[in-house]
Amino acid sequence: MSRALGWLVVVGLVAGLVMGFGVAPREAAQGNVQRIMYLHVPSVLVAYLAFGVVLVASIAYLTTRREAADRIGHASAEVGVLFTGITIASGAIWGKPTWGTWWTWDARLTSVAVLFVMYLGYLLVRGMVDDRERAARYSAVVGIVAALDVPLVHFSVYWWRTLHQPPTMLKPGPSTMPGLFAATLMVNLAAFALVYVYLVTKRVRLLRREEEALA
Amino acid sequence: MPDNWSFVAAAYGLALVILGGYWRHLVRKERELDGKS
Amino acid sequence: MYARRAWIVLWKDVLVERRSKEALNALFFFALLLLFIFQFTLGGDRERLAGALPGLLWLGFVLSGLVGLGRAFLTERDHDCWEGLLLSPGDKSAIYLGKLAGNLLLMLLVEAIMLVLFGVFFNIDLGRRLPALAGVVVLGTVGFAAVGTLFAAMTAQVRARELLFPVLLLPVLVPVLLGAVKATEAVLAGESLSGVMHWLKLLAAADIVYVAVGVLTFDAILEG
Repeated sequence: MSRALGWLVVVGLVAGLVMGFGVAPREAAQGNVQRIMYLHVPSVLVAYLAFGVVLVASIAYLTTRREAADRIGHASAEVGVLFTGITIASGAIWGKPTWGTWWTWDARLTSVAVLFVMYLGYLLVRGMVDDRERAARYSAVVGIVAALDVPLVHFSVYWWRTLHQPPTMLKPGPSTMPGLFAATLMVNLAAFALVYVYLVTKRVRLLRREEEALA
Repeated sequence: MPDNWSFVAAAYGLALVILGGYWRHLVRKERELDGKS
Repeated sequence: MYARRAWIVLWKDVLVERRSKEALNALFFFALLLLFIFQFTLGGDRERLAGALPGLLWLGFVLSGLVGLGRAFLTERDHDCWEGLLLSPGDKSAIYLGKLAGNLLLMLLVEAIMLVLFGVFFNIDLGRRLPALAGVVVLGTVGFAAVGTLFAAMTAQVRARELLFPVLLLPVLVPVLLGAVKATEAVLAGESLSGVMHWLKLLAAADIVYVAVGVLTFDAILEG
């Protein structure tokens, strides 16, 4: 079953790359560097998906104490942090030629940076608490607090950056995009979501086997 | 505006390294467990 | 019964603190030290100082708050009282509220002292806007104390608590910090609070979320 999923992931990624580099047209204002968007936006959306799963798994663990919930939360947080890192890195690489700087304290980058550190904290709890059961409980609480904080961070940073301040750069958002751009984005989003599912499944299986090996 | 393909390559390359590296790490760990049992 | 248990925890902490005054003295000197450092780094330029004042104020609150919260479960840890907490009957969230109230009181006290010191040393007239300022400070500190108490309990028994506690707490506090600084800016500039209502609502929302999560999950933190 996971072999089929693995091949599906490959198909998805190939489709995404074909769309991103073959089908999608060259953007007028930024040139081809804009194609980084097909990596950057799906990454952040999948990261949010991952952390949503962490929230559900954390609540499930605290209410049912089922180890499967703990494993899914752990795996999803790991993969989520990876995608968040990719979001930040690709955002910075996109920003350098486009706005002339690697980093800017604009709303989106700042929110994602805060997100990154929050869930790094989640993984730190996992790493630094020796007792497995305590680590599971503690990280579940952190997972819940972090997820509930996401909208608060989003709004506060957005207001901080945009109110009383003219927008410093133009961000193409999915809602205002012409057809082919949006379609390419959708295909890449689906491909990345598949990568997420594949990696989480693999990681959960590894976690279970590691526990069995210790037992 | 120039195309900056090197930046595009850098971004995609980095993503490949990160995701690919994680995947390889998982595979390696599973093989270790396979070897022991 | 529930409220009584929370009150007992609060009263115990207040008594311990009143007798030793350990935390209050330490935090008072820490606040004084921060003030000196702010003066040395920014004091020369009056305008820059005035512009940075809301941020400096909350930086001071956060730093002293971190120190205070870091010690929140010190007595329990050092004097082996965890079991006492764990064995207490009923809903453990009463302990959370008691601890939260205690931390809140201590933090507000230190913040009040810091405000007075700021007013005196930097010659800022806080008197006119005091009610509004007090409101903003309370809103911000409640959120800070709520999630701070939860994480302090969590990290109290972890080896790397001095690292883990701020790393967990500070990113989560970003919305509270932004809201509090922006609202404080408006108050100190003499603007009416209605202009920053969105920030105040955000602070209130954060406070409610953090306290609710604290009440609901404190049991899970303590057990075992």
